Amino acid sequence: MRRLTGSIAGAAVLALALSACGSGDSATTGGGGGASALKGTGTGDTCKITTPVPIGAVFSLTGAAASYGESQKKGLELAAEELKAKGGVTYDVKIEDDATDPQQGIAVFERFVTKDKKSLIIGPTLSNTAKQTDPVAQEGKTPVLAVSNTAAGITEIGDYIFRDSLTEGAVIPQTVAAAKTKFGLSKVVVMYSNDDAFTESGYQAFKAALDKSGVTITKTITFAKSDTDFRAQLTEAKGAAPEALVVSALIEAAVPLVTQARELGITVPIIGGNGFNSPKLMTGAGKSADGVVVGAAWNSASSGPENEAFLTAYRAKYSADPDQFAAQAYTGLKLVDAAVRAGCSGEREDIKKNLAGLKDVPTALGKFTMTATRDADTPAVVQVVEGGKFAVLK
Amino acid sequence: MLEFVDAYASTITFMALTGVFAYSFYAVLVAGQLSLAQAGIASAAAFTSSLAVPAEPLFGVVPRLVVGIAVGMSVGAFLAFLLGLPVMRLRGVFLAIATLAFGEVVRILLINQSWTGGAQGLSFPKLVGIPQAWLALAAVAYWFWRLGGSRLGRAFAAIREDELAARAMGIDVSRHRMTAFVTSGAVAGLYGVMLAYFVRFAEPNAFGFSAAVDGLVTAVVGGTTLFIGPLLGSTFLTWLPELQRAIGVEAGWIRPFVSGLLLLLVILFLPGGLAALIPHRRRGTMTHPDAPPDLPPLPAPGTPIASLRAIRKDYGGVHAVRDVDLDIAAGEIVGLIGPNGAGKTTLVNIVSGLVPPSGGEGTVVGIALGSGVPAHSIALAGVSRTFQQIKLFNRLSALDNVLVGAHRVSRPTLLRRLVLLPSARRDEKRALGQAFAQLTRVGLADRARLPAGDLSYGDQRRLEIARALAAHPTLLILDEPAAGMNHVEAQRLSVLIRALAEDGVTVLLIEHNVRMVLETCTRVVVLDFGEVIAAGDPATIARDPRVVEAYLGAEDDQEETA
Amino acid sequence: MQQLLNGIFLGSIYALFAIGFTLVFGVLDRLNLAHSAVFSTSAFVGIELVTRAGLSIWVTLPIIFVFGGVLGLVIERVAFRPLKGRHDAHFAGLISSIALGAMFLALLQAGFGPDTRRFPPDAFPQQRIEFAGSTVSLLQLVIVAVAFALMVGLTLMVSRSRLGRGMRAVAENPHAARVLGIDVDRITALTFALSSALGGVAGVLFALNVNSAQISMGTSIELKGLAVIIVGGLGSLPGAMLGGLIVGLAEVFAVTYVGSSWRDVIAFGLLFSILLLRPQGIFGARKVREI
Repeated sequence: MRRLTGSIAGAAVLALALSACGSGDSATTGGGGGASALKGTGTGDTCKITTPVPIGAVFSLTGAAASYGESQKKGLELAAEELKAKGGVTYDVKIEDDATDPQQGIAVFERFVTKDKKSLIIGPTLSNTAKQTDPVAQEGKTPVLAVSNTAAGITEIGDYIFRDSLTEGAVIPQTVAAAKTKFGLSKVVVMYSNDDAFTESGYQAFKAALDKSGVTITKTITFAKSDTDFRAQLTEAKGAAPEALVVSALIEAAVPLVTQARELGITVPIIGGNGFNSPKLMTGAGKSADGVVVGAAWNSASSGPENEAFLTAYRAKYSADPDQFAAQAYTGLKLVDAAVRAGCSGEREDIKKNLAGLKDVPTALGKFTMTATRDADTPAVVQVVEGGKFAVLK
Repeated sequence: MLEFVDAYASTITFMALTGVFAYSFYAVLVAGQLSLAQAGIASAAAFTSSLAVPAEPLFGVVPRLVVGIAVGMSVGAFLAFLLGLPVMRLRGVFLAIATLAFGEVVRILLINQSWTGGAQGLSFPKLVGIPQAWLALAAVAYWFWRLGGSRLGRAFAAIREDELAARAMGIDVSRHRMTAFVTSGAVAGLYGVMLAYFVRFAEPNAFGFSAAVDGLVTAVVGGTTLFIGPLLGSTFLTWLPELQRAIGVEAGWIRPFVSGLLLLLVILFLPGGLAALIPHRRRGTMTHPDAPPDLPPLPAPGTPIASLRAIRKDYGGVHAVRDVDLDIAAGEIVGLIGPNGAGKTTLVNIVSGLVPPSGGEGTVVGIALGSGVPAHSIALAGVSRTFQQIKLFNRLSALDNVLVGAHRVSRPTLLRRLVLLPSARRDEKRALGQAFAQLTRVGLADRARLPAGDLSYGDQRRLEIARALAAHPTLLILDEPAAGMNHVEAQRLSVLIRALAEDGVTVLLIEHNVRMVLETCTRVVVLDFGEVIAAGDPATIARDPRVVEAYLGAEDDQEETA
Repeated sequence: MQQLLNGIFLGSIYALFAIGFTLVFGVLDRLNLAHSAVFSTSAFVGIELVTRAGLSIWVTLPIIFVFGGVLGLVIERVAFRPLKGRHDAHFAGLISSIALGAMFLALLQAGFGPDTRRFPPDAFPQQRIEFAGSTVSLLQLVIVAVAFALMVGLTLMVSRSRLGRGMRAVAENPHAARVLGIDVDRITALTFALSSALGGVAGVLFALNVNSAQISMGTSIELKGLAVIIVGGLGSLPGAMLGGLIVGLAEVFAVTYVGSSWRDVIAFGLLFSILLLRPQGIFGARKVREI
């Protein structure tokens, strides 16, 4: 038994060492200087690059954030398929799992940057992971396109870090303004999960926007992101007799919260942040979801041609409706494609330059422009659930 | 090779950092305590250091990381001390759960503070790389390596194996457990600070229940009895996901499944953890131990050693011992006999300080008995004992058992061992000399390296005596040492006891083998139903009709014992 | 009043989880950390049965009871039986159950994907009852009733039946029990099976209560479950029930009077205090140290 274990361990270490040394030689594609195989001829739709552009993606496919990572993977794979069919430029997309563990995320980023010499990295899923992984890419001069990080302090990491995901700070003021006009709000109760970076930043955005529009927050109630029974908190909220319930939560919490709120007899409007922007809200909460107002970075009801095409293709491939994570990941690869074609080069420096220069690119998220701080500029939308579907709030 | 390091720099660093974290668990596990507070402590240390670390090197000279580490380790040690005070008396699962709860409370407290950044966390500059991480690991590993052969390390091992026996050898269990706790807190603090300054970030949620469990798993997988254990554990667990990636195991549910499976296999089939795979080189260095140290002379014959007046012990409605007077003078071999349930062991527990009397007064080797007197202080004053049910430290070698017994007469060596002072080695050799002398006395010198649990029953009894003797006791208490021995072995034991008395050791002996008692002892005390029914020299006792009736049986049986 | 009711219902859910937990600890002196995986797995399987096979919830519950029992047998056989007699059986059992639990959850993801799953809307009658100005759902009443019934049933079983006697004997002294001819292995296996069967039912009811099941749903309740069994007393069934109610009510009142951010601190603070003041919990028996 001992000898067997020992030889297995030895073989494993050998395999690892060999794979590390071995693939080091083959990394002549991408990144390196000289006559690069990643530069092509033509421009835009006529651009042709012979070597596949290596793209790495890091998502949380297992662990606590697995359901988001799964969505992102689907969106990304759909985009990769479509780009392959388009031709001219091909992409070698490798999706890796960080298991919702920043340590693994850092390890994968490191490999993508140094060993695999990816031209660009997409991801990671969680903002707090990104704060730890993106510096590695920044130091390794590899561009990163975040497709779901909405916290503050991401693009500040450096000039190689970009994102296509609208922050809550960009979406929520619009949401609050629209809700105030529609419902004539003067006092509300705010609820949010204070142990999650995304929902906490959402809360801060809500608070700032509500204060600015002169709406009083009579009570602030917190919960944990893994909570599913909110009856105690909702009873508290009901007792404060608000005109609306403002909630910053992830979808896992949003569904039971909405359902239980209605159960407990809370009839006032519920206004949610980006986390609510998912078809699961309707499938999970059923009739209780009707009338819920959601501030969104992606309009699932939008009729722009890119979005229509995305929705149709996604439904055909996966027999389900996409959510915001899928949409943003899908758009991410399309934006990378736009940047590559703009300079007809899959080199890191060129991608970096051209991502920064993206302007009015038509995408499923709407017209996309990269701001000076490398953040997304797309139209935010305020949605409302009507008849089991998202519609734009009028 | 350099490319390998480049591509896996973070994994190599995490290997070291996770190893440090695992050592914080090792620090308490060596003493037999399962504490899960380390993750919370690491978190508190990391955030506190962010408040204290300056933007420039301190006084222009001291590196910022050093300041951070100093602050972090102090905070960690302090928190562990605060936690340790109330939970010290908890054992086993209760301790684990209490420390887990503490960790969760710390997490929630930190998440609700603004200076920690709340759920969004705090950014840190990068001050740690491969060299710093491995230096820290080396320092921690060095500490625990040096702990292994020191008096403190043996005391921890003793507490882990049998806490009560350790107490009886003079080890202050509470103080030692607190020491282990505080060490663990300091190491956890080191980890927290190093991690934050490596990944440039910290959030309270990263240090919750899962993190604590991961650390525990690393320590246990590596092995908790050998100092190299945590390093092995961290190597295995840090490289496992990378290995799966390299081999090509598909990303998704398979990887956590494989990880869980491997963990299960290691736990089930490698009881000592990965450290058990390392062929254990027995210390062959000490073949020529020094002569035993000069020990203070034992009291002159006739000096009062113990005197008890009207001693009583009640357990609820049961009067185990009632109104017992007992005097023991130096040089005596006092035999304590009586039927089962007479209260002999209880009385002896009172004399050795393990149990406080319910009433009456007594002084043993100058210490007054009472409920505030801890057992180890009586042991340290010169009382040593064996137990009715053998209480050896089974996984330790016979030699190590006796070395623990020598706790009282040996000097602490850890701090000197850390700086490799030769005087430490000398003290260790002297302790070994003392240990070997006792083993030789009982005839076990040739079996010194064997694990105590592997010895034969008779050898184990003799080993227990050797261990008790190693403390150079004034009063040696033997609780049924001849139980299970045949006539020849009992004879040899009797000879040994008389030789001990000649050397000046006072002996209090409980025995059922009445012939042996009458042959060996200078005085015999007879207990029945918790009371002394007779006392005197052996010949008188043998003829006393009350004794004969209560214990030796009816008149006809007298032939057997005469 | 509504909050009082909320506390009672929350507490009964905690109690349901804890009853199985404390059974294994009380009889076998083992902490089974795979219990949370049984909880999650049973919820998913229950949802599958109702959604895919179209079974009614009342048929599903007994099926899950059996399913949970089978999982319990597997856990005992794989994670605990091989460790019998080992000196580090406590720590090792903790970790082997963690490992096995992780494997269960990985398989769960393999089978069902990482997303949250829900019962179809008509799985349980949606009735609501007005009571003293507060709203209570039929489901919540059923959950309390089931928890209470299980506790009573279990207590009766342990004190009256032969199996119960065997369990109590093993709890006191496994060696003596074996010598007396009690099949300790069988009792051990049955205890695990029973404990997990209860955990499985708890999982389904919990998922019904919030109409969602996630792979990680067991983790947070496991920690609360630990608090409950300590407060109530390790190994005590009425203790699990009472402990659950106390923790549930304490949490709800923390939300009302202290602030919802500190809610979890209450549960763990309670746990900590009990461990310091009265480690055997409210109903637990103090074990006497033998010298």
